[in-house]
Amino acid sequence: MFYSILFPDMKRQTAPSPEMPEYFKDLNLDQITSSILKGKSEYALEQFFYTPLKDTDAIVYRQDVMRDMKAPELQKQIKLFAKTIFDTEKRVIDTLDHLSDPESYHNNYLVKGHLLHDAQQYCHAIKAMVDELKQDSLESAGLSNFAEYLHDYALSDAFISLSSYVERLKSNLATVKYCMLINSGTIRVRKYEGQQDHSREILQVFDKFKQSATKDYRHKLSEEPRAEHVEAAVLNLVATWYKDIFDDLDRFCTQYQNFIDDRISLFSREVQFYIAYLEYIQRFQEIGLNFCYPEMCTSKEHIKSTDSFDLALAGSLIPQQIPVANSFALTHPEQIIVVTGPNQGGKTTFARMFGQLHHLGSIGCAVPGTEASLFLFDNIFTIFEQEEDVKTLSGKLQSDLIRLHEVVNKATSQSLIIINEIFSSTTLHDAVWLGRKMMQAILVIGALAVCVTFLDELASYSPEIVSMMSTVQEDDPVKRTYKIVRREADGLAFAVHIAQKYGLTFDALGRRLQR
Amino acid sequence: MKAHLMFKDKDFDIEQEPPFGKDMLVSDLELNTVFSAMAREDKVIMEAVQTALLCSLKNSDEIRYRQSVLKDCIKNQAAVRKLYALTIETFERKRKEHWWYSTQYLSSLFSSAVSLLQMLIGMLKKLRGIADESIQSFESSGFVTLFSMLQKELDDDYFSLVNQHLNELKFREGTLISARLGHYNQGVAYVLRRKQKKCFWRRWAFAPSFIIASRDDRGAADLSARRDRAINEGANAVAQSADHVLDFFNALRNELAFYVGCLNLYNQLQQTNLPTCIPEIAAAGESCREFKGLYDISLTLMLKKPVIGNSLLADNQSLFIITGANQGGKTTFLRSIGQSQLMMQCGMFVPADSLKAHISNGIYTHFIKEEDAQMKSGKLDEELERMSRIADHIKKGALMLFNESFSSTNEREGSEISRQIVSALKDHGIEVFYVTHLFEFANGYFGQHLSDVTFLRAERLKNGTRTFRIMPGKPLESGFGEDLYQKIFGIRE
Repeated sequence: MFYSILFPDMKRQTAPSPEMPEYFKDLNLDQITSSILKGKSEYALEQFFYTPLKDTDAIVYRQDVMRDMKAPELQKQIKLFAKTIFDTEKRVIDTLDHLSDPESYHNNYLVKGHLLHDAQQYCHAIKAMVDELKQDSLESAGLSNFAEYLHDYALSDAFISLSSYVERLKSNLATVKYCMLINSGTIRVRKYEGQQDHSREILQVFDKFKQSATKDYRHKLSEEPRAEHVEAAVLNLVATWYKDIFDDLDRFCTQYQNFIDDRISLFSREVQFYIAYLEYIQRFQEIGLNFCYPEMCTSKEHIKSTDSFDLALAGSLIPQQIPVANSFALTHPEQIIVVTGPNQGGKTTFARMFGQLHHLGSIGCAVPGTEASLFLFDNIFTIFEQEEDVKTLSGKLQSDLIRLHEVVNKATSQSLIIINEIFSSTTLHDAVWLGRKMMQAILVIGALAVCVTFLDELASYSPEIVSMMSTVQEDDPVKRTYKIVRREADGLAFAVHIAQKYGLTFDALGRRLQR
Repeated sequence: MKAHLMFKDKDFDIEQEPPFGKDMLVSDLELNTVFSAMAREDKVIMEAVQTALLCSLKNSDEIRYRQSVLKDCIKNQAAVRKLYALTIETFERKRKEHWWYSTQYLSSLFSSAVSLLQMLIGMLKKLRGIADESIQSFESSGFVTLFSMLQKELDDDYFSLVNQHLNELKFREGTLISARLGHYNQGVAYVLRRKQKKCFWRRWAFAPSFIIASRDDRGAADLSARRDRAINEGANAVAQSADHVLDFFNALRNELAFYVGCLNLYNQLQQTNLPTCIPEIAAAGESCREFKGLYDISLTLMLKKPVIGNSLLADNQSLFIITGANQGGKTTFLRSIGQSQLMMQCGMFVPADSLKAHISNGIYTHFIKEEDAQMKSGKLDEELERMSRIADHIKKGALMLFNESFSSTNEREGSEISRQIVSALKDHGIEVFYVTHLFEFANGYFGQHLSDVTFLRAERLKNGTRTFRIMPGKPLESGFGEDLYQKIFGIRE
């Protein structure tokens, strides 16, 4: 039984949070989401991108639908269908507004005509979609159930009577043929009574002189009425000659105030979640970057990702450059990844990637990479370097510590913690001491974590800790590779090499100053 | 409605491309003088006569058709000129009075098209009037068909029908438009309708109505947009109808132009007291050149006085070699052959007392030219190249006129070249006229005593006077250049 294209059933529907999660900004997920939802604001999809799912079944449900929707023809048809239903509904709501007020300027047969036409579009879209879905091989429960729902709906009494009423009205209205006599400022209306086509007759009278084809003097003129009130008045006059048909139209408008099925309407909005995301990742796939559907695990036995990348960074690099792919793996009892190495080497990007993968995986989307097994978290906490906050009068160190305290209190063994370059505004000795305390606290909580730091000492604390480093090119130590690899921290930040490049080591600067 | 005066069953294409060699024909036969005399500054006549003369007819029925129409024209000059003048007047009036024919705004297109059409109806009435008064005096099938058609198609009933329509187009009782319903009930597919004659107001007076308030500008704009949509087709119909009538007048003018040109020429020749006649066409298969008093028409037009005519009786001849004293009238004779052939084959009269000839399958000229101004090739080169191009096109049954060709080398070589070329042409059924000083060439043929070769000579009296007559005579060795020398250097014998 079909419930929603985003949730397998009502029980598993998580309460949507319209608020952006706190960790979005640090992980640049806000940038990613706004790119995905560009142009889609009318569908109000933000909540679905903000709310992680807690249930692997729900995640698989969405992944299967997304996989089905990759097929280009099906995607095209669903896009068309969803847009038609959604736009029709918007117009119908407007129309009903007008028709509910008997005094309204817009309560006329033109508007009723629009309603009828929208109803016809709706019926045609439903029928077309039913036919389309019959032909496709659908693997996902979501789309198969929807196909079944739609099929049953199309055969239901309610739909059949709507559809046949619409067709009957339309074919009756097609028989209407009237004449207007326009004389100074007056229009009179009667039925068309077989009067002859004047233009054709004129051509016939002079046809005998024709020697060869001549020029076409017709102007291109629009068939839309200039003034609605005049056209509406004309229609009222026409209605007096075709009372039966127009009364029928009136009855239709009263009876079928809102003919759109709720579930289908919801589908037309919710399916845009998949459409928006698939459209977004297409630009990456086109240049050869890979996406995969991660396995979301409830245990931390083996967490990994192969050849992935930071989506926000990638979005700003392509198509001129391609982001460097990175991988990670954590096998029990490994719990924390400590990332050290040269500045600007891609460490923070790596940390963000870790967070992004988990969040996107948790809402059922395909993630960057060739394969992934990710942890089904209950929350993500980020501790990123804060700006000095004059208002709170706290120094940086104090802000860092307050935040850390907060996180330690809230985090559970099912959480993810991502830390980036904290404790930088204190002495090395204090930073190491605080750092070790922090690591201990995390180990006690048992949460998975990634910690980007300049403190190599933290990287070799215990078997639960994995050390990874950002690397440089061998022949030119100034050049970053952006590859993060498992390695013992080797203590050199390579800052000296940069200084050398600019002639600012002690020796080099000394020589310069002597001149 | 067709005006088929040039051909019995098809239109005359005034812009038809003339066949290969047209420029040479025009300059060698001095045709521009003839064209100007016929056209008398009228551009349409100029175009028509050029096309007619240069695009020769090959079918004797077609020629006789035109001859009979021409006879009618000569007999009824005033009526024909009146008819032609009517077509000219129509276009003049359109140009002067209806130049503001505007297609940009629909309502102005409509009104200007109606007004133009009304003018054209008036001209059609006049046309019918001419048909009525003239039909008795014309005999040719061309004119009789034309006039009867005009009487039949433009009868009184027709004009009253047209008037009725034009009256209705004034929309005195309003515009009647039919419509259907579009996809949201808006009116679409507007068609302008005719109002029924009977009981119109009885029905419509009480029809449900809607009145636009006096200050309702948008409503007023809407009403005129409605009318525009309806009269879009109507305006197109009227404008196209006007175009059709104009096209008919144009076709009539093109068909008449040639004959008016002939009349112009005829009158001029009459004034100079020179004869013209309608030539007789030889039967198919016959080879016939019989004429009396044939003269060079452009020469006479230029001199504005009579010139000497020539006579000949030559049947089944394929080669004519013309020799004789310089300035003896040989070139003019050659020209008169070419001119009369073209004139006969376009259905005109010819400049002679009488003439009977067969139809040629194309006429080509090869006359002596000024030294190549650009000195691209030697004179002989140029002549041979020109001949080669003719050879690409010339076919059996054609008429080839040579004037002093291939003499830009010594007599022996020139004769040999000419002999070869002429033999080839003759063997392939091409009729050749050759004016030449190449004695060896001429004598060569003379010696063969062939039955189909005629020798003509420019007449020279014993005292040296040229009579400009071309008479039968064998080729002589001297060209009597001595005479000229005497004359110019004034040395008496």
